[in-house]
Amino acid sequence: MIYYLLLPVFSLLLLAIQVTVFDILFFGKTGLEMSLILVVYAGFYLSIIRGIALSFVLGFLLDCITGVVPGFFMLSYVLIFLISKGVSLKVYARGMVFTMGFMFVCVLFEKSLIILMYRGLYGINVFYDILNASLLQAVAAGVFAPAFFVLFHRLEVLFNVSEARSPDQL
Amino acid sequence: MASPRKYYAVTAVIIFVVVSLIIFSLNFKSPEEISFFRRVALEAVVPLERAVDLVFSSVVGAWERYVLLVGLERKNRELKAEIASLGRDLSNYREISLDYARLRKLMNMKNDFKFPTVAARVVGRNRSSVFKTVLINKGTADGIKTGFPVMGTGGVAGRIMETSRNASKVLLLVDYNSNIDVIVQKNRCQGVLRGCGSSGCELRYVQRSEDVKTGDAVVSSGLAGVFPQGLLIGKVAIVEKGEAGLFQKITVHPAADITKLEEVLVILRGKEDNG
Repeated sequence: MIYYLLLPVFSLLLLAIQVTVFDILFFGKTGLEMSLILVVYAGFYLSIIRGIALSFVLGFLLDCITGVVPGFFMLSYVLIFLISKGVSLKVYARGMVFTMGFMFVCVLFEKSLIILMYRGLYGINVFYDILNASLLQAVAAGVFAPAFFVLFHRLEVLFNVSEARSPDQL
Repeated sequence: MASPRKYYAVTAVIIFVVVSLIIFSLNFKSPEEISFFRRVALEAVVPLERAVDLVFSSVVGAWERYVLLVGLERKNRELKAEIASLGRDLSNYREISLDYARLRKLMNMKNDFKFPTVAARVVGRNRSSVFKTVLINKGTADGIKTGFPVMGTGGVAGRIMETSRNASKVLLLVDYNSNIDVIVQKNRCQGVLRGCGSSGCELRYVQRSEDVKTGDAVVSSGLAGVFPQGLLIGKVAIVEKGEAGLFQKITVHPAADITKLEEVLVILRGKEDNG
């Protein structure tokens, strides 16, 4: 229960850090979507119910803070969580290189959804505009993902929200 | 036989996916409506961002002041401390001077408007995002409503997209969702200025026969009822007439420096004040 109580508070804090601190650290040149790293972490390590709730809340809050199309981040985070969960069930997803590579792909997938949304719904081609920024962000997310996975695991243990993970829970 | 827990998981997946899809599609049906939860989230994030910023600045400050100096000679330490102190003072004075210059510009702009304005500070931005928005620390408590124009130093910065009691989200004019009815000041030809992300804005629907040149000022037309007439929006940067087509391809650079917004003025005027 404590997990669901802490969820909105922790998510809001994480997004506040993402929007303020990382903007300063990277001099506004690129960004580190820590929230997306957490969604992939949830896909790999949390149960479906906890993970999807986390992805939903993170997406909702990100929509509120920076989103222009309400519901976009919510939908894309839920989708990315489900893909991560599916991948973690089929392959051994604990290696560092795999984590980095998968994170890279997930960032590009998210950006592709944005491109598709603009193309499909508004008829605007934003591909070239976000291509360079997306690649840089994908690399940054891939490089930092293993460190953040360790951090998220520590927090999970610290707040005593980790759970016994058996196949039955999936 | 599958366990009940597995059914819970499948049900949760279906519920969350369906709810996400509904919220996403509702946006196209009634984009102006802002839910209670969105308002609460917007309200909650501003103080939190300020707190995070404060903590981060303090940590960085402490690191610079103390940790880096450990292990140096006493005199060296004193000298460095003195230099650091002088540097801080200088930096503070520079900051005050820049603040003063910015605020003076804003105040000058404020006097130019016939509408009341509210000055606000930018408290959150996500420059890496494809969506170009910023958060400001003023909301409905100060009379701000959705759709109000927002001015940066130099010109229009965008308009209020969502607002709660003490915070508002500004849709910058460079965002792909931003469309502003404008005129080229010199020859009064009309067009629609659409955001193009980091590459600025594009002035659309200007006929090939119109004489538009690099450096021409682009101002709001006042027709759509959101922006008062005559607000400086930007300057024409590139004009391409091409071989065929009815319209010119015109790139406009915003007059306000969108990447360095720190303070903004919100013009308190609604659609009912059109004119």
